[in-house]
Amino acid sequence: MSAPAALAGSPGRDPRADAEWSRRRVLGNNLRALVGRAYPRIRGMAGEPSWVLFEILLPFLTTSAFVLVYRALAAPEAYVGFVVLGGALSAFWLNVVWMMASQLYWEKSQGNLELYFAAPMNLMSVLLGMAIGGLVMSSTRAIAVLVVASLVYGVAFDVQQWLLLGVVFLLTLTALYGLGMMLASLFLLWSREAWNLANLMIEPIWFVSGLNFPVGRLGMLGALAIATIPFAVGLDAMRQLVFAGQASLLGTPSPEAEALILVGMTVVFVALARWMMRTIERMARGRGSLSIRWQ
Amino acid sequence: MSASERARGDPGATPFVPSIVAEAGAGDTLRAFRTAALLGWRVESNWTDPALFFIYTVARPIASLLLFVVMIQIVGGGANDEIRAFVILGSSLWATLVAGIAGPAWSVLEDRERYRMLKYLYLSPASFLVLLVGRGVARLAAGAIGTAIALVFAVLVLGLRVDVARVDWPLLLTTLLLGIPPIVAIGVLLGAVCLQTRQESWSYPDAFAGSMFLVTGVVFPLAVLPDPVEVVGLLNPITWWIAGVRQAVLPGGPTSVGGEGSLWTVVTGSASPDAATVVFALFATGALITLAATAIFRLSERRARDQGLLDRTTGS
Repeated sequence: MSAPAALAGSPGRDPRADAEWSRRRVLGNNLRALVGRAYPRIRGMAGEPSWVLFEILLPFLTTSAFVLVYRALAAPEAYVGFVVLGGALSAFWLNVVWMMASQLYWEKSQGNLELYFAAPMNLMSVLLGMAIGGLVMSSTRAIAVLVVASLVYGVAFDVQQWLLLGVVFLLTLTALYGLGMMLASLFLLWSREAWNLANLMIEPIWFVSGLNFPVGRLGMLGALAIATIPFAVGLDAMRQLVFAGQASLLGTPSPEAEALILVGMTVVFVALARWMMRTIERMARGRGSLSIRWQ
Repeated sequence: MSASERARGDPGATPFVPSIVAEAGAGDTLRAFRTAALLGWRVESNWTDPALFFIYTVARPIASLLLFVVMIQIVGGGANDEIRAFVILGSSLWATLVAGIAGPAWSVLEDRERYRMLKYLYLSPASFLVLLVGRGVARLAAGAIGTAIALVFAVLVLGLRVDVARVDWPLLLTTLLLGIPPIVAIGVLLGAVCLQTRQESWSYPDAFAGSMFLVTGVVFPLAVLPDPVEVVGLLNPITWWIAGVRQAVLPGGPTSVGGEGSLWTVVTGSASPDAATVVFALFATGALITLAATAIFRLSERRARDQGLLDRTTGS
């Protein structure tokens, strides 16, 4: 069927009947939207070779700088491992901040947001597509930093519960990207504040999450971070599982308890993202700010 | 009206003088720079009220500072005050550096991808390079505010001891001033890269700055690095900038350039470079990077015009 004929629908059928979509058709359509949104992120990696330098080599050097700080301070070797794991996981946090939370704001600036709202799909599928595409992008960086830094600095991992480690890793990612989806809808409401807020969510979050040291050493601040920031709780749980028996990691909940915290965070963040997307969309429509750009 | 009269246009209007646009004088360049810097400052600061802008400006450098202070505290306790002061000063200066490096690069991306103004800026009579430098200096100023407040925080809260009477003010001022051109030049260099790359390049300045942590002696002495990497550090003006400020503010403290096992000490036989050497090295390496950045920027600019990259927008 030619495109105009397809757009015209089936001859002789009631247009209202054509507009009634089955559940299967809705699901298929949203899946296509999800794949369509993830595609440019994954394909874009091949289109921009410079990312290998800026996303893999330079972050490795940054991680190396932190390792050398510990070496210069004659710290126990376990801390080098903490830094390497933190450096690898930071790739996901940066991706959540820059390519999830701020993304709908970018889309608004670029004029794509109106198209998303006009398209017959659920906006959550776009957010999920962004998350999956971003996950692939940041996984390459995380794996590269982890493997290269571990080999160069001779990090010795001691994993005793592989299954739990895998579960915690997946839960960390779902909670992180759930937070990203929630922030994306929140950032939609803002203008240039969104960009600056994203900028603000890097070093302060890394500090309270214990990027380079056990978060338990921060006392109450660390406990608060474990209760609210998925990066903090995921990193701590993974450190406990990857460097089993390290005395310096004591003082925080067990990995099992932290896995439960991550489950709770995932549920809360995704539900909030869904609710906020609807609420903020309604507010933004009312204020007429969905298509306002460059402010 | 004859053809020649028509070509001259309305006789009452100001005549068109090609030399006005063909050769911008120093006054025009200065005006363009000032306008760009002012625009950059407004872009930086007018998105919110002053109180929130203040929090935003200081939160990153203070968090970054605390990250290192806690690392030292956990490993070495409070015993080593000299190392603590060394790290605090280097880490505080980093805020200025990151802002200065990111300024021109983010200006390219903002004006091209977000505001879509780059092509119009490019068409204006002002030099594109001067506009970018102006924007970069505005961000550098915001970073410098962050550094200053982080240092005040370190003195008041973290117990950093600075003896104002012992501070080598001439060295401090000279070093600070000589450090500005190379920092902006590195930013221009990254601006040249971002002219060629896609929207994802937002994170490039941070990644680049992060990697410079390794080779510039910000939080640990260069002596811990392998010799070839140490050479890279010694050729970097940022190394000398940080060393100079450190030497001026904390005279007699540990040095990032020399010391036991360092290449500097092996080659020169001295424990650390003196003030004159630091200033000379900063000037020489700074001049080198500034010239290189200008040349690379010109090449990138030409390629961007050839490839139609000045008004390209991307997404992912």
